Amino acid sequence: MSRLIEQFQRLPGVGPKTAQRLALHILKRPEAEVQALAQALLDAKQQVGVCSRCFHLSAEPVCEICRNPGRDRSTICVVADSRDVIALEKTREYKGLYHVLGGLVSPMDGIGPEQLNISPLVRRVNQEKTEEVILAISPSVEGETTTLYIGQLLKPFTRVTRIAFGLPMGGDLEYADEVTLARAMEGRQELD
Amino acid sequence: MFLEQLHLRHFRNYEDQPIAFTAPKTILVGDNAQGKSNVLEAVELLATLRSHRGGRDRDLVQTDHSESIITARLRRLSGDTKLAMTLRNSGRRTVAINGETQKRQLDFLGVINAVQFSSLDLDLVRGGPGERRRWLDVLLVQLEPVYAHILQQYQTVLKQRNALLKQRRSHLTNPGTTAPIDPTQLALWDAQLATAGTRVIRRRARAIARLAPIAQQWHHNISGQQEILELRYASNVAVESAAQDDAGVIQQAFLHQIKEKAIAEQYQGTSLVGPHRDEIEFLINQTPARQYGSQGQQRTLVLALKLAELILIESVISEPPLLLLDDVLAELDLKRQNQLLETIQDRFQTLITATHLGAFDAQWVQSAQILTVKAGQLHQA
Ligand SMILES: Nc1ncnc2c1ncn2[C@@H]1O[C@H](COP(=O)(O)OP(=O)(O)OP(=O)(O)O)[C@@H](O)[C@H]1O
Ligand SMILES: [Mg+2]
Ligand SMILES: [Zn+2]
Repeated sequence: MSRLIEQFQRLPGVGPKTAQRLALHILKRPEAEVQALAQALLDAKQQVGVCSRCFHLSAEPVCEICRNPGRDRSTICVVADSRDVIALEKTREYKGLYHVLGGLVSPMDGIGPEQLNISPLVRRVNQEKTEEVILAISPSVEGETTTLYIGQLLKPFTRVTRIAFGLPMGGDLEYADEVTLARAMEGRQELD
Repeated sequence: MFLEQLHLRHFRNYEDQPIAFTAPKTILVGDNAQGKSNVLEAVELLATLRSHRGGRDRDLVQTDHSESIITARLRRLSGDTKLAMTLRNSGRRTVAINGETQKRQLDFLGVINAVQFSSLDLDLVRGGPGERRRWLDVLLVQLEPVYAHILQQYQTVLKQRNALLKQRRSHLTNPGTTAPIDPTQLALWDAQLATAGTRVIRRRARAIARLAPIAQQWHHNISGQQEILELRYASNVAVESAAQDDAGVIQQAFLHQIKEKAIAEQYQGTSLVGPHRDEIEFLINQTPARQYGSQGQQRTLVLALKLAELILIESVISEPPLLLLDDVLAELDLKRQNQLLETIQDRFQTLITATHLGAFDAQWVQSAQILTVKAGQLHQA
């Protein structure tokens, strides 16, 4: 029991009380249900990798968004994390493709541009004849540096815009509500 | 503004202590280590989100407990406000205004304004430049709460840039093991440091410009028209004083200075330009108070600064802030005590700690609310 609580407590946003409640809940469920949960956890871990084009989480080599013929291939929205793709998809406002960087430039954490999926982005933009790259990166100090860095790299090849304003100060895309995000997407600005 | 009620739960040596403030002046009297300063510290936390004692939140939570709750009821011109702050051993804090939890701690700042004055404040004159920067920053947060965010952003950029400079240095001394640093990235951090730093510099310059004449007037009065006090903002990024409010000029000077110090930064692996190296100079009759000021002069100076803070905050927020006097009143001679008391009168709600009432003027002790403090318990005397 305490082993289970301890495991739950390692999950993001789960404190000791929630962990205990979850553990008690699990113990009350029928064994088949718990089995299904455990299997789903393992399958997800073993089968979900990243899309070879956009680096979004995907069970297939190329993700659903990249495969969808209905999406506008002339725009790429660049985000830090797969969570941001999920948040933007909820708005149903954006119809183009994505590119997931896998983090932000942060020397303190030993993350430079080389550690992020930036070179593949530059290659994509050149090969796919992208018309617009939208940088949808949180306006934190690290987000700002990452935005400016990518902007400088891509400016010679394509139109680069950014969304950020309207988001809470230093906020995460994940926490912005759908209305705010949709509005930010509409009001994006040319990166100078 | 008037703090009507304060309630401490599991805070420091208080188990569960409600306090009702009933007079413009409240004296907390008791022996050493009974919990007098702890009350003032709770108010300081509500006003500034920090304690000048430093330390971690777990030190604020009563021993053997996991969380502490400070609540307060405040009367302001704009209406009554209820504040609550939860401190936890884990370090996670929650703040609420009128029962509504604030997503950003920043939004909690500026509800209670307070000037803190303790015997430690002599370090303002005697200590290093870091003490003076901290003092000015705390004042700026009171004047303009968004400054807390501005300062934090600057500090983050600074840390990131320092980390990058350190990486570059280890690459230069040991090219085999680490990758070279992309100059494009460094240039971006330079620009960010200059942008964020300029915001800090302009605000510090403005605050000193407004504070200096008020402090000078007070110092002149208290010293019996003998001395001229000057406060000077000696920013590490030097621009002519006429340009001190021009963001463009400061940013230019900032980037120029970074260029000039490039070699030194390369060797030292740390940022040598920016407001983290600012100084605020105190001069009495044109000589630095730090080296040449006598004890008495230094005390007069600190008192003048604190009075100036009170007046400046009052004029900016259009309401008198609270004054927290920790041990310091008894240390002032009667003349300076009276100067201070005449200024605050009944306008500024004042919380005073003391070990005895003997050192005070009998008349105003009579008009004050006296609370005795003993082992984490308060009693109306
Ligand atoms: N986290 C804590 N839990 C329990 N007690 C604490 C905690 N932190 C501090 N104390 C106690 O609080 C007391 C100090 O309180 P405080 O600093 O308010 O004293 P004071 O009355 O101002 O004394 P002085 O006159 O010396 O300044 C000490 O007895 C200390 O042990
Ligand atoms: Mg004390
Ligand atoms: Zn994809």
